[in-house]
Amino acid sequence: MIRTLRDLLLFFTRDLRIAGTYRAPFVLELIEALFGAAMLYFVARFVDSPELRAALPQGSTYFAYSLVGFIFFDYLNASLDSFDRSLEEARDSGTLEPLLVTQVSLPVMLVGSAVYPFVVTTLRIAIYLAWGAALFHFPLHAANWLSVAVVLLGTLLAFCGLGILSAAYLLLFKRGNPAKWFFLSVSGLVGGMLFPVSILPGWLQVIAHLNPVTYALDAMRAALLDGANLAQVAPTLLILLLFAAVLLPGSVLGFSWALRRTKITGTLSHR
Amino acid sequence: MPDAAITVDSLEKSFPPAFSGWRAFAQPFVASTVPALRSISFQVKPGEAVALLGTNGAGKTTLLRILATLLLPTRGTVRVAGFDPVREPAAVRRHLGYHAGSDLGFYPRLTGRENVRFFGRLNHLSDSYLRTRIPVAAGQFELGGVLDRQVRTLSAGTIQRLSLLRALLHQPRVLLLDEPTRSLDALAAADFRRFLKTEILARQGTSLLFASHALPEIEFLADRIALLDDGRLVAFDTAAALKCRCGAASLEEAFSRLTGHSASLLAEPTSS
Repeated sequence: MIRTLRDLLLFFTRDLRIAGTYRAPFVLELIEALFGAAMLYFVARFVDSPELRAALPQGSTYFAYSLVGFIFFDYLNASLDSFDRSLEEARDSGTLEPLLVTQVSLPVMLVGSAVYPFVVTTLRIAIYLAWGAALFHFPLHAANWLSVAVVLLGTLLAFCGLGILSAAYLLLFKRGNPAKWFFLSVSGLVGGMLFPVSILPGWLQVIAHLNPVTYALDAMRAALLDGANLAQVAPTLLILLLFAAVLLPGSVLGFSWALRRTKITGTLSHR
Repeated sequence: MPDAAITVDSLEKSFPPAFSGWRAFAQPFVASTVPALRSISFQVKPGEAVALLGTNGAGKTTLLRILATLLLPTRGTVRVAGFDPVREPAAVRRHLGYHAGSDLGFYPRLTGRENVRFFGRLNHLSDSYLRTRIPVAAGQFELGGVLDRQVRTLSAGTIQRLSLLRALLHQPRVLLLDEPTRSLDALAAADFRRFLKTEILARQGTSLLFASHALPEIEFLADRIALLDDGRLVAFDTAAALKCRCGAASLEEAFSRLTGHSASLLAEPTSS
């Protein structure tokens, strides 16, 4: 266990060092987050209406509601992208085979390579929230940070399964995963990113409730905007963990199978 | 210590036929019907150097990749340092150094030292060991002056040497090299062969299995030669015995007589 954690840290340090050789992106991210938050603020001011406020959770503004949805999708993106992107980069740079003949297993390598993008995404989200609170009255003071942390962990576990499945697809078919883009598009529509699921037609609401993103966003908004404690987010969190319990082992099995197939077909490092 | 450093027993490997267009979607699920290795058997003794010689497509790289745990055999068994690459891949990797012969495989924005240290740590070598081992090994490969430069600024030959350093860092019992001097100039290649012979083979007693097209390199390094043709092991013996067997004056001539191919086919330096 300690060795695995040490291996994961090695991958994080590697990515941090590589990122450190590029100076500009951090400053650009900081500015991008400011523009992103400002855009949502002005959209919210423009569309604010009594009907909309009635559809929102108690005491919430549309700006706060949409900002949480917007930044949360960053997490979904990072989860779906990190695993297959790290695999793709290793394959294209020729580091995949040297990595595979070390003592580290491919699953550890994949997870290790995803640590840095997750940390960066978390930092980016923190910057968004900081801009939102400093300039546009985002109610950070209302948050229950323990609940936020637990919901975030549950979300990561559920979303990682999707990311690992995406990497398995890449191993087999060598190119980007169409299912990933479909999932992102569907989640953008029915996941509750910019509007509540309750305003959707009934059949779309059914799809929304089959999607872990819906539960993750619900729980995160409750923890961040309503200050919900662990007991209050527990029912939603439980459903999220149920998704994780199915997706994580399923994706690891799928990935192992895909890896074995590529070792049989000799296409492990093919593009 | 096992009797043999490498054992290859009735090894067979087939690949699925390559599809293009829409049929490529079925590629991962297609049965393997194109043979690449056909019932190969031989052993490499501890401390011995064996060369894999053959034209492109003879199966040299496929064989090395099976031993390196990067491919699964279709039939037959192999053992590296006494371990089975299919059932005990981690144990095999612990005793294995593998160099694929390319000048890729590093993070270009990291320095040579950072790269080598990263891979060394993934092989569970301690920081203190790496602090002393990397400068010593870099000195042997004449990399001392470039170790702290970003890999993207290094020449192909230097990256090749860095790759060999990485393969040898954990002092493996078995070393697999796929055309190790492909990107080196003549002088660097000669130095490298001398280093392999005196340091790795003679002093450290490492067993070596390498694929090469360079006949002088093979005669200089190899105790025995595994001659492959179209996935079959045509002959396995010393260079002198191979020449004697077919009454040839040179290894080049012996290759032509034993495989029926012109030795000029060996000039194409592409791995099979």
